[in-house]
Amino acid sequence: MANRKIRVLLAKLGLDSHTVGITVIAGALRDAGMEVIYTGLRQTPDMVVQAAVQEDADVIGISSLSGAQMQHIPKLLDRLRSAEADDKLVVVGGVIPDEDAAELKAAGVDEVFTMGARTEDIATFIRTWWEAERR
Amino acid sequence: MTDDSRKRPAPDGTEPADAEATWRRDVLGPALADRGERQDEFVTQQMHWPLKDLYTSRDLDEIGFDPGKDLGFPGEFPYTRGTNPAGYRQDLWTMLQVTGFGTATDSAERWSKMLDQGLNGFIIEYDLPTTNGYDSDHPLAEGEVARAGTAIDTLADMEQALDLPWDKLQHLSSVCNAPQPVNLAMILAALEKRDIDPASFTLQMSNAILIEYTCVGRYIYPPKHGLRIATDCIEYTIRNHANWIPISVVSAQLYAARATPVQELAFGFSIAMEYLDATLARGFEIDEVAPYWSFITGLEMDFFEAIAKLRAYRKIWARLMKERYGAKREESLRLRLMSSPGTTGLTLQQPLNNIARLGIQTLACALGGGAYAITTPLHDEAHALPSEEAVRVGIAVQNIVAHETGVADTIDPLAGSYLLETMTRRMEDEVFAEIEKVDAMGGALAAIEAGYFQKELARSQRARFSEIEDGTRKQIGVNHLVQADEKRSIETFKLGETAERQQLARLARVRADRDDAVVAKTLDRVREAASGDENLVPPILDAVKAYATQGEICDVMREVFGVYHPDSLTSGV
Repeated sequence: MANRKIRVLLAKLGLDSHTVGITVIAGALRDAGMEVIYTGLRQTPDMVVQAAVQEDADVIGISSLSGAQMQHIPKLLDRLRSAEADDKLVVVGGVIPDEDAAELKAAGVDEVFTMGARTEDIATFIRTWWEAERR
Repeated sequence: MTDDSRKRPAPDGTEPADAEATWRRDVLGPALADRGERQDEFVTQQMHWPLKDLYTSRDLDEIGFDPGKDLGFPGEFPYTRGTNPAGYRQDLWTMLQVTGFGTATDSAERWSKMLDQGLNGFIIEYDLPTTNGYDSDHPLAEGEVARAGTAIDTLADMEQALDLPWDKLQHLSSVCNAPQPVNLAMILAALEKRDIDPASFTLQMSNAILIEYTCVGRYIYPPKHGLRIATDCIEYTIRNHANWIPISVVSAQLYAARATPVQELAFGFSIAMEYLDATLARGFEIDEVAPYWSFITGLEMDFFEAIAKLRAYRKIWARLMKERYGAKREESLRLRLMSSPGTTGLTLQQPLNNIARLGIQTLACALGGGAYAITTPLHDEAHALPSEEAVRVGIAVQNIVAHETGVADTIDPLAGSYLLETMTRRMEDEVFAEIEKVDAMGGALAAIEAGYFQKELARSQRARFSEIEDGTRKQIGVNHLVQADEKRSIETFKLGETAERQQLARLARVRADRDDAVVAKTLDRVREAASGDENLVPPILDAVKAYATQGEICDVMREVFGVYHPDSLTSGV
């Protein structure tokens, strides 16, 4: 377990199809030695939870640029709890207004990275959590 | 003193060969003797082409620059100096803005206000359910209805959206790629209902489905069916609405996906030629159809690279049409180009800085010449949907460039610039080389199916972000002059919570009031047309008039064409 790669599931929820950010993050996390699984576009919260469980992902990364984060992400957190999979790290990235970020974190998202976040910091955040929680 | 130093012999005793060498030895050399240049190397921002310290007539000699051949006169082949013989001295560019939000009623109100403020037209952006071919009550649509653009489910919505001051409107663009025939049919039917003459304005459709597969992602059907649908719209429009523009190669989306200028032009032109070949196969001659092709591009902050890109656009298109397709009409050779300051240069940090960026990019649009229309994105766009204040500033930026700077007062003022002509030629050569690479793969459709564009764009995206992260590319407010305690307090437009609810109610009402038997019959006709090779627009027009929803019409085509699911290779992620 200690030696296996950190498994990150990257997902796009709903109809948001902006993929530049998620492409860059996927590359950066792979470069940081993690295993990245991408769900593709147009996922529902249920589809993401199912994929995360099936793929035994440690981390779920949601990219949101269309503004619908408050519709989908709280639902995803609920479904994770119902599936008893809420031990996974959940990070969100994209165009997220400050007030939404605060609300998401209160609802159980572990961290929100907005535009301008460094990929290195995202990888470090995941790695630090992994060292503390999983090893 | 300068004269004395000029006479001084070279340290090694030889005489310099010419004036430039003398300058280097006697003027530049001593000036840099104590401290060298501020960087080890200078390169262009996008292409990373090395930049010399000084460009002179010798650079033009080296590339065999021929003003007659490379520039011509404005309005003449190869159109480097612009497609309009009079430049902007007769008409300024058309000033547009992309906008759309809320229900059709909300949007119509805002568009009317924009037209009253002096814009000549606008681009309709639809919400994601609409551009993805889903109705507002589809489970995937939840939270997205009327959010990123206007929601259009049925003809009733389009009738409402087109409640506009038509006397002020010259140009209307509609950005809806995957369900384009449905969108076209809705506009046609709404114009008929409102008794508006379709010839009284220009409708420009994006109809740019192939770009969606390379980077944007709002596709529905597999690529070859996407191409067929797009070609149906092109054919229908050319045959029935000769003053409209049925195809816009939205290279701006390639640019937004961080394509370099060479990638943008090469991929964009390859895609344009794929539509062109498909249309020619419907029995047209090149000169009957080429004049309809239009392009939309976006500019980056590297000023000269941006201007070189606009000039190369026109020149390459003219050459492709003349040399490859044997086009003869001037209208076929003259590129229709709409350009806009690019959103990717805008930053979330210190958002007011974006007004400066927009001003500079708008200036590049104007100096690049020959763009018939310019759109301005808005300085708070990186935050969320633009505020009304940002819309006002966006319009002002265009007017400041047009009326206060004087750049629009002579035709193509930068022609002959040693640097710019050198860059334009290099851009032209590299684009042709990349187009040939795509040709060798079998053209744009084959390149998309193989994931080539997607893979190349992903590479550019990663390179761009690492440059900003490691600071090799400076971005103010992001990695330079950063404000540590920056508060993000900009005022942004808040969408009324009720828009989604209103839209769902409106859709339910239309479903309840229509004759379902007629809807079913018209949908059967769409299915029949999709299964064969009949043009899809007429049967879809009948379905739209019967108030079939967009989702229902797209679902019928989903049954026939299937739904596209790219794998890890063809998604680029």
